[in-house]
Formats: sequence, structure tokens, C-alpha cells
Amino acid sequence: MRNYIIRRLLQLLPVLLGISIVIFAVLRLIPGGFASGMLGIDATPELIAQVEARYGLDQPAVTQYLRWMGGVLRGDFGQSFRSGAAILPEMLDRFGATAELTILAALISWCIALPLGILAAVKRNSMVDRVVRVAALLGVSIPGFALSILVILLLSMVFNYYPPLDYVGFFADPVKNLEIMALPALILGASMSGSVMRMTRSSVLEIFRQDFVKTVRAKGASEGVTIVRHVLRNALIPIVTLVGMQIGSLLGGAVVIEQIFSLPGLGLMTLTGINNRDYPVVQGCVLFIAFIYVLVNLIVDLLYAYIDPRISYD
Amino acid sequence: MRSTKRLLALILAGVMALALAACGNNGGSSTPAPAPSTPASGSGTPEPAPAPVEQMLKYGTDTWPAGFDPHTISAIAATRVFNQVYETLISFNPDMTYQGLLAESWETPDDTTYIFHLRKGVKFHNGREMTADDVKYSFDRILGNTDAGDIGALGSSASYYGGIDSIEVVDPSTIQFKLKAPNAAFMANLTSSYGAIVPKEVVEANGGSLAAIETMCGTGPFVYKDSVVDNYITLEKNPDYWNAGSPKLDGITYYLMADESTRLAALRTGDINICSLSALNLSEVQNDSSVKVLSYQSNNYTYLGFNLSSPKLQDKNVRQAMSLAVDRDAIIDYVYNGEATVSTFVAPAMGHWVWDAPKESPLYTKNIDEAKKLMEAAGYGENNRMTLTVAAGLLDSIRDTVVVLQQQLKEIYIDIEISNLESGEYVDIWGKMDTPEAGFDAMCGQNGSGTDPNRAVSFFFSSTGNANVWGYNNPRVDELCAQGVATTDEAKREACYLEAQQIVIDECPNLFFASPMEYFFVSAGLEGFAPYAANANDFNNITLK
Repeated sequence: MRNYIIRRLLQLLPVLLGISIVIFAVLRLIPGGFASGMLGIDATPELIAQVEARYGLDQPAVTQYLRWMGGVLRGDFGQSFRSGAAILPEMLDRFGATAELTILAALISWCIALPLGILAAVKRNSMVDRVVRVAALLGVSIPGFALSILVILLLSMVFNYYPPLDYVGFFADPVKNLEIMALPALILGASMSGSVMRMTRSSVLEIFRQDFVKTVRAKGASEGVTIVRHVLRNALIPIVTLVGMQIGSLLGGAVVIEQIFSLPGLGLMTLTGINNRDYPVVQGCVLFIAFIYVLVNLIVDLLYAYIDPRISYD
Repeated sequence: MRSTKRLLALILAGVMALALAACGNNGGSSTPAPAPSTPASGSGTPEPAPAPVEQMLKYGTDTWPAGFDPHTISAIAATRVFNQVYETLISFNPDMTYQGLLAESWETPDDTTYIFHLRKGVKFHNGREMTADDVKYSFDRILGNTDAGDIGALGSSASYYGGIDSIEVVDPSTIQFKLKAPNAAFMANLTSSYGAIVPKEVVEANGGSLAAIETMCGTGPFVYKDSVVDNYITLEKNPDYWNAGSPKLDGITYYLMADESTRLAALRTGDINICSLSALNLSEVQNDSSVKVLSYQSNNYTYLGFNLSSPKLQDKNVRQAMSLAVDRDAIIDYVYNGEATVSTFVAPAMGHWVWDAPKESPLYTKNIDEAKKLMEAAGYGENNRMTLTVAAGLLDSIRDTVVVLQQQLKEIYIDIEISNLESGEYVDIWGKMDTPEAGFDAMCGQNGSGTDPNRAVSFFFSSTGNANVWGYNNPRVDELCAQGVATTDEAKREACYLEAQQIVIDECPNLFFASPMEYFFVSAGLEGFAPYAANANDFNNITLK
């Protein structure tokens, strides 16, 4: 197992190297540059040249890339062109908000999706199943931003309620932090739960059809024991894969939700960076997000072995 | 099995707690909501005496400032904060005359000399007194005359003050500017937030950069307190502000709220007191007594700017035909719900500088027959239609405007192909609009007339204007622009700019459509605020009830 983990972590290096080159190149290929964006309609070729010289953008691309990568390898992601703030500390700070949102949303989606998915499978083709399937379809098909705005409007008009606007971290004020996070996490959780519910239902149904379930039942196990101990455990692999992918992409920032609720997370940081063509910010964020994504995938792979003893990495 | 159950139960309890947290706190955020102005209907119990309303202005802002150095950024999201923290020498009154801010009075012994007598006893937020040395330092920084490493010169602010020849500190409260040549726009440019007076020691302590929010240190009515990036900025009252009795507020918090509907929702619940919204929200609050709308005519205008390197647009008749085919009132009705004014590139808010094109120019009256004739003379017809590729700017109103134009120009054999641009692309294409590399025949967007006609006319339409990205070149317009800025005689200037406007409108390097109204949606208890085009950020007299 340890060797496997070490091998996977080593595989991370070429992946991250590749991503760093791609993002560096893509940022410079898209139309619009940092200097012309900063200067706006007042830009003149001379001013643009001055700004580019100031930020080292007049250097050959290879030099710029090596300088950036050199910094990254030393743990220095550079500074934002716009705010002058060091990028790594801000990224870690922002990741806190994003990670919290992701964890809460995932917990909520499991609480909704697992029991309902199993219920729909057990009561297949009943009214319960149909309701769950329609709800799941709604969860999958309503975009998060539309749901967010609808919920905000509804709460403000009916209950005269708006979530607190000034963000505080969980450790600074847990109660207020949870109040801020509740709505976005619920909405994100509800959105996520649709696909998890569908996956749970179909995966559980598939296991139900297998012979060992009949054996378990023939041995006189109760329905509860059959489902939770035998069926669910066997049905978990595809569910964990799906959830892993969802969590991976959410940790990269739930951009739209973060923007609507003004949560200072990684997604909003990346988006602002892209809008401002703030190269070091975008490069740093993308690299960091890729790192997290690969790490989550590794954890999912390790979970397989835990869920299914037949899978072994030794 | 048992542990799984326990885990599930725990998770469920957590979700319910979260749901309760979300719904259980009806009618209030963590900060006390302002007392309602009318008692709740149906409650028979006597009202307790209302608690004094907290004098913190809560402002819902749409964009996070792209930086905090007043000498490098002039975007509205940033200037709305700068205007509270930093001050300039002078500013505009609503009638476009000047009022002193850091300058108490001024004199102009000759056309190229401006002497400002500074207010005494004005302190920066770090407690040090502001003197003429700071004024000199600030303009030196803008013009790139300070030590190496200072980024001041890199902002476009330098182009505003490029006419300055020398700056001399006469005594600690007197400063003299010598200009290279007479420049009538000099005073107007001094009102720009680009001309903010900053303390040298703060710039130097931060390695020459004021980009970080914590470095904000001006002489303004509000002092930076704290912030969370992409979330909120809190300013608090400057207790040492030179204008005794101002501001009346205890502070301002700007909350980032990118979405219009969430800003309106938060305004209704009292979680914010003020925000700007588009005209489309007006009908939403018509019957809502908790919200007031304050409006003013902006100095912005919408335009369709032609790439004059495109052979088909070099024919003046074709451009004039388009002007004749456009129904500007229909654009205003459709795009702005009627809440805008037909405009040229000198927006109506600029008063006596405006040539009344809607009345005077035949090109402002829709005349499809005449337009068709011009197009046919240029060789176009039903079987030989023109395709016009148009890049649409960033605002929703612009994207809607292009759609209306698409419909209207169909009648005169023109088919518009629309591309909606993202901000980086927009700026990129803007820079090469007069070349084939732009890839577009025209660009639709919104520009600002500024506060002086020199900006409105020379900047966009003289052959040397920084923002003349159309490739437009008319020697007479150049001559008029040069004359208009070289004299301070208002009547002579007016004559120059009026004639230049007539020429530009006749030659149609751009078509001009509408100058939109700007709206502040505020809570009913907000008083003492009267925004106008040249200053929509004077919060000194605001009180909350």
C-alpha cells in the first residue's frame, strides 16, 4: 500500500508539470493581456510596453515560465499583479472556505441521496420510487445558480431573511460561519444529490439481482441487514467514484455559487484572476486545483481497497 | 452496522441543524436590522421607543476593485471606494463649477500658471499633516518623476497630467503648477480620482506600490478599517476630517454582490441600504415603500464605432445610411424601458457643451427611404446585402442594443453578425479596432464623455486622441480640438467643440444612441444623498433613519 501511494504521488509530478505548461501557454494565447486590461481605453503602445516591462512580461516566454516554476518549486507562487498580495497564503486561506463548502455540501448530498436512493431501489416502481426519481432528475437538471437565486428571492420575500454578508472563518465564529455556509451548502448539496441518488438506486438494484443476496436472504437475514451490510457495501464503488469526482471539482471552487453568495473561495479567486488577466494568480490557482483534484482521486482509489477487500494495491 | 446507523443519525442531525440555522433567524442578519419605518400592521401592543439606527452605510457593490492604487485605476468599482478615502485638490459642483477640496482657493495669473492655496490642518489618516510637498510628490509619482521602483508612472493617469511642465512648492500651503501650454482641461482633470493626494512615506514603506488595500491612506472622510477579499471592505468615519460635522455616517461597508437580483433582495430585507441597479429593476420596486430610487443622467453614451480600415465602411454614405436607419427612441424603449436620453458623444449631462443633434442633425431622424437610397447608391440592394461583423461590449444593455440594431439595419440591406465579447477580448480588440486584425467591422459599447469636452471630443475623435481607435482623421476636427483646449475662454471653447461635434456627427465614424440614466436603489430611511454625473459618491451628508 505504501509503495502504491508513493508511486502515485510521484506520478503527480509529470501531471502537474504538464498542467503548468498548458495553463501558462493558454493564458498567453487567449485574447487580451494583463497590461491592456489594466490600462483600459487609456492604453497606448508605450504605456503597455512600460507595464509589461515592470511585470517582466517583456521577457521571452520560456524565461517567464522558468522564473515562475523556480518560484513554485521553492514554495513561492509569486504575487498578484493587481493587489501585490502573496498568492500562496491567499490561496490557502481561500481554500478553507471552499473546502468547508465542499464538505458540507457533500455531507448534505449523502444524507439526502443515500437513504432515498436505497429506498427507491427497494421500493422499485412504487410511488416512492417515482417521486425520488423525479426529484433526482430535478436535482440534476436545475442549474445551481438558478436555484440559488430562487432560494434567495424566496427567503427574502417570504421570511425577510438574507444570509449574513460579511464572511467570517469557521474558527473565528463557528455559528455565524455556519449560518453563512448553510444556504450555499444546502443548494450545492441538493444539486449534487440528484446524480448520487440515481447512481445509488441503479447500483443497489444491480446488486439486488446478484445470487449472493438471495443466499443472504435464504439464510434468514433481515432486510435491513441485507441492505446495509451486504448490498450497500457492494454498491458503494461506483457511488464513491462519482462522489470523488464531484468533490474534486467542487474543491476547485464552486465558481457560480461562490460568486452569488460572495464566498471568498478559490473559485472566485480564479475567476477574478482570469477577468483581470492576473497571470500568476490564475497559474497558481489552476496548479493548486489540479493538485487537489489528483489527490482526491488518489484518496478515492485507496477507499476502493477499504470498501472492497478484493481490491489490493500491494 | 450499529456504528453506521450512529454515523447516519449524526449526519442527519447536522443537516437539520444547518437547515434550522438558515431558516430560524427570520428578519435579521447577525447585525441588528434597522428599525422598520412603519409599525407592523395588526399588532395591538404599544411600540417601544425605537432604538437609534446604526449609522453604518451598507453598500452592495457589483465588482471587487481590481486594485487600490488611485494613480493607476479609474474603474468605477475602485473609485467609489477611493472617493471616500482619498481627496483631490478640487471637485465638481452639480452645476459643473469647481469647489475646493484640499485646495481652499486658487488663482491663475496667466494661461499656463495655476496656484493653489491648500487648506491648513488637513491630516492624512496616519495623523501627519498634509502639505504642499505631498501634492508635489503625488503628481511627481503620477508623472513618473519619483524614485525607481515606483509604479505611479505606469498608470494611464500620466496622460491626464502630461501637460504639466513643472510643480513648485511655494510654501507649505501653496503649490504652483506650470503648464507647457494653455490647457483648458487641466482643472477638470484635477477632479479625477487619478489626482488623489497620497503621503510619500506610505508609498515608500510599501515599495512604491499602493495596490494593496491595507495601504489606503488619504485625507478623505472615511478611513480604511478592515476587509475580506472578494467579500467586504469596511471604512470608518475619519474623526479628524477637516470638514467639521462631516461625514454624518459612522462608516461604510461595501459588500460584493455580483448579481442584481441578490442586491435587490438584500436591499429589501435591510441587509444593505444602497446599491446601483439597472432600469429593468424599476418596476420591481414601484409599490415597495421600503425602497427609494435616486436617479441621475449619466455622462455615458452608447455607440457603434466603425473600423474605418474596412473598405465597405470607408464610404461616408454607408455610415450615414445606418444613422438614418436607426430608431434611437426604439432602442431606448426596448433596452432601457424608456429611461435614457438620445445622445451624441457629448452626453446630455454636459449641458452647454452639447450640440443638440436630435434637433439639428437630419441624420438623427429615422428616414428609411433616404437610407435605402444612400445604400443603393453605394451598390447595395436586396440581392447584394452587406454583412457587418459587430463586437458587442460587456454590458447587458449593449448586447440588447446590438440586437435591436440588427433588426433595424436589416431594412437597409445590412445583416449584422454579433459576437459578444468577454472583458479581455474587448480590450484587445479595442486596441486594434482601426486595423483589419481586429477581425470586426464595428464595435458596440459604452463610453464616457468625461467632465470636460476635451475628453469627449479630442480623446475619441482627434487624430492623435488615445481613444481614437477608429482610424478617424479630420484635419478640421484636429484644429478645433487644439483650439478648444488652448484657451480658457468658455465662449470660444464652446464654439470649437460645437463645430467639431457637427462634423463628427455628419461623418459618422461612430453612431451614437443613448445616454442611460443611473440609478441608486436605497432604503427608505436613507437621507441626504443627491448623486450627480460628476460625483455620485458624496456620502458626507447621508444619514440613516
